[in-house]
Amino acid sequence: MATISDVVSLVVFPGALFIIVYALWCNWVSRKTVARLQNRRGPLHTGPHGILQPFADIVKLLAKEDITPAAADRPVFNLAPVLIFALPLAAIFLIPIQSITSLFSYAPIANFEGDLIVVLFLLSLVVLSVFLAGWSSCNLFGAVGATRVALATLAYEIPLVLLAIGPAILAGSLSIYNIVNWEARSITDFLAAPSVWGIAVAVVMLIGAAVYTLCLLAELELRPFDMAEAETEIVHGWQVEYSGKKLALLTLGRDVKIVLASALLTSLFLGGAAGPWPVPPIVWFVLKTTICVMVLSNLSAAFARFRIDQMVRWAWQYLAPLAVLQVMAMVALSGVI
Amino acid sequence: MDVEASDREFTIPVGPQHPALKEPASFLFKVDGEVVVDVEPRLGYNHRGIEKAMEARTYIQDLYLVERICGICSNAHQTLYAMNVEEVAGITIPPRAKYLRTFVHELERIHSHLLWVGVAAHEIGFDTLFYYVWRDREVVLDLLEEISGNRVNYAFNAIGGVRRDVPSEKIPKFQKALDVLAERTKYYHGIAASESTILERASGVGYCSKADMLRLCGVGPHARASGVAKDTRHDHPYLAYDEVPFNVITNDGGDVLANVLVRIGELYESVGICKYVLDHLPDGPIREKYSPLAKIPEGEATNMVEAQRGEDIHYILSKGDNKPYRYKIRAPTMANIPSLMVKLKGGYIADIPIVLAGIDPCFSCTDRMVFVDESKDKVWDMNDEELRRYGIRWYQNGNNK
Repeated sequence: MATISDVVSLVVFPGALFIIVYALWCNWVSRKTVARLQNRRGPLHTGPHGILQPFADIVKLLAKEDITPAAADRPVFNLAPVLIFALPLAAIFLIPIQSITSLFSYAPIANFEGDLIVVLFLLSLVVLSVFLAGWSSCNLFGAVGATRVALATLAYEIPLVLLAIGPAILAGSLSIYNIVNWEARSITDFLAAPSVWGIAVAVVMLIGAAVYTLCLLAELELRPFDMAEAETEIVHGWQVEYSGKKLALLTLGRDVKIVLASALLTSLFLGGAAGPWPVPPIVWFVLKTTICVMVLSNLSAAFARFRIDQMVRWAWQYLAPLAVLQVMAMVALSGVI
Repeated sequence: MDVEASDREFTIPVGPQHPALKEPASFLFKVDGEVVVDVEPRLGYNHRGIEKAMEARTYIQDLYLVERICGICSNAHQTLYAMNVEEVAGITIPPRAKYLRTFVHELERIHSHLLWVGVAAHEIGFDTLFYYVWRDREVVLDLLEEISGNRVNYAFNAIGGVRRDVPSEKIPKFQKALDVLAERTKYYHGIAASESTILERASGVGYCSKADMLRLCGVGPHARASGVAKDTRHDHPYLAYDEVPFNVITNDGGDVLANVLVRIGELYESVGICKYVLDHLPDGPIREKYSPLAKIPEGEATNMVEAQRGEDIHYILSKGDNKPYRYKIRAPTMANIPSLMVKLKGGYIADIPIVLAGIDPCFSCTDRMVFVDESKDKVWDMNDEELRRYGIRWYQNGNNK
């Protein structure tokens, strides 16, 4: 029986199928949020309030002609979209969402000491695949986009990883499941016996969440950090040569990455799938990550695009020091409590 | 060029088709990493032979052809054409027509400048601002539609005056719409002057000094953004501009931010001019009689107007027929290309779109024929007699088969 439930939770819920459907939902939420902020209506036509539009887009792309440029480095060019889709999907399996054997448990499909490192590693591999995708297309705009991706990584990757260490120090574990458990426990403890130190931890965690959101904007190539695919400058940059099925995979991969990013944000800083009884974890997960997606979309609608050099400078001036401060505060707090 | 440099440099084509260019033109950028080393512009993808086509049509037909030189400055070109024909024909237009022409001319400037602010925002990736500006642009488009019946090509001018009157009962409504525009302009001025990502992307980008601008004969808001106080409306007043008070907006910045601020400043001025014109609209007829088949006496005329993008010059030569013998057009974008090259060199790839868009380019106005022999590095023009003989020779040799 254990194998059947494992297969179901890998393939159907909360595994691949659920994540893909949820990714399309997040895509719709993001498009609708941005549209309303920009005084537009957003998708309207397909399904109620256009909710099926992201799905329709994928279907349309699957039906389109798939062109591989003659000059492209074929194996890499074909492999990159698969990696860009599969890597974030694999990473989500390690994040606590909902157990299918027990309604009120959020134990992930796999959890072990150090899975946080694995998730961050997979996230970096996605960036590498993006670079390869742009580079292997042998297109000038693709190459410029790829170098911009690599440069941007230099700017945000270190703060991104540093910030993730903070909660791990406080929880005393490198397993995301344990971090979420610790967060749930400390909130219950705090409500039972409020203390000054509890408030201090909450403040540091929220600041961490804010800085982490900025890093995620860069990781997800959202404005103001979308210079790797800047349409008006380099014609969608690294994905310029992709079409048809591969572009569908890239689009889906991007949506899955948004789910992964908001899932990481909620799990590390906002209590993840944990929430007051008797609401099952899946509801908390959907609620929290959807709010994260809306916050990310809101931020991306509020700015103009940075130039790559401005972004690198900005990240090292503000993001990196803030991340270091956050870790130091966490270490100090972990000594006190 | 030494070997090391040529290894690092590569060429990026922007155009003829590129999302940052709304019309076909080609710029070959030699870049070193992200920095632009050299630019080679190539125009002429959109040459439509309008000057030649005008010679085959009557003055009335040309009135509607000349409007189609450019979708955005349609009224500027048409007004200028009408002024030219009227000068040769010796027609003086009634004062009310003069004011109405000024009114539509300025409304067109408002619509064009708002369009530009939106496009500029889009080029630096600020789509939210783009959608906001274009929503408010609908106000002025509705105004134009109410006055002329059309949103873009108004066909507002007639030879001898204007085609439609503005009824006095509609004036309060127009005033109200202009108030809305003034208020929104104020809001955008605040955004452009204070939003940090806009300042990061616009300030200091695409710099051209006043001396360079004067040397390379830039025109319009592009030149005024480098501190050159040149405005045809002020320097050579036409229509009602000698009676209407307004300021020439300049900025010493010389960069993209200065371009934005100059254009937003001009939006205020244009709204002011429109309001003044509506308040001081003279009574009387709106056009002089002119027969569609009338022949126009021999003569020539050159006039200029301040189109949205800068000084627009037309020349007409009449040989006493009902068609122009020669018509020559110099649209403002043409004059701005040399100074644009200065702005592009030394910048980043990321800044190419916004700097290109900074002159508000309109290539369909600009394109013209020049003969180029690349192998001999020779460029020449032909006059109509040479061109006629060249054509005869070409067909005699059977090249057309």
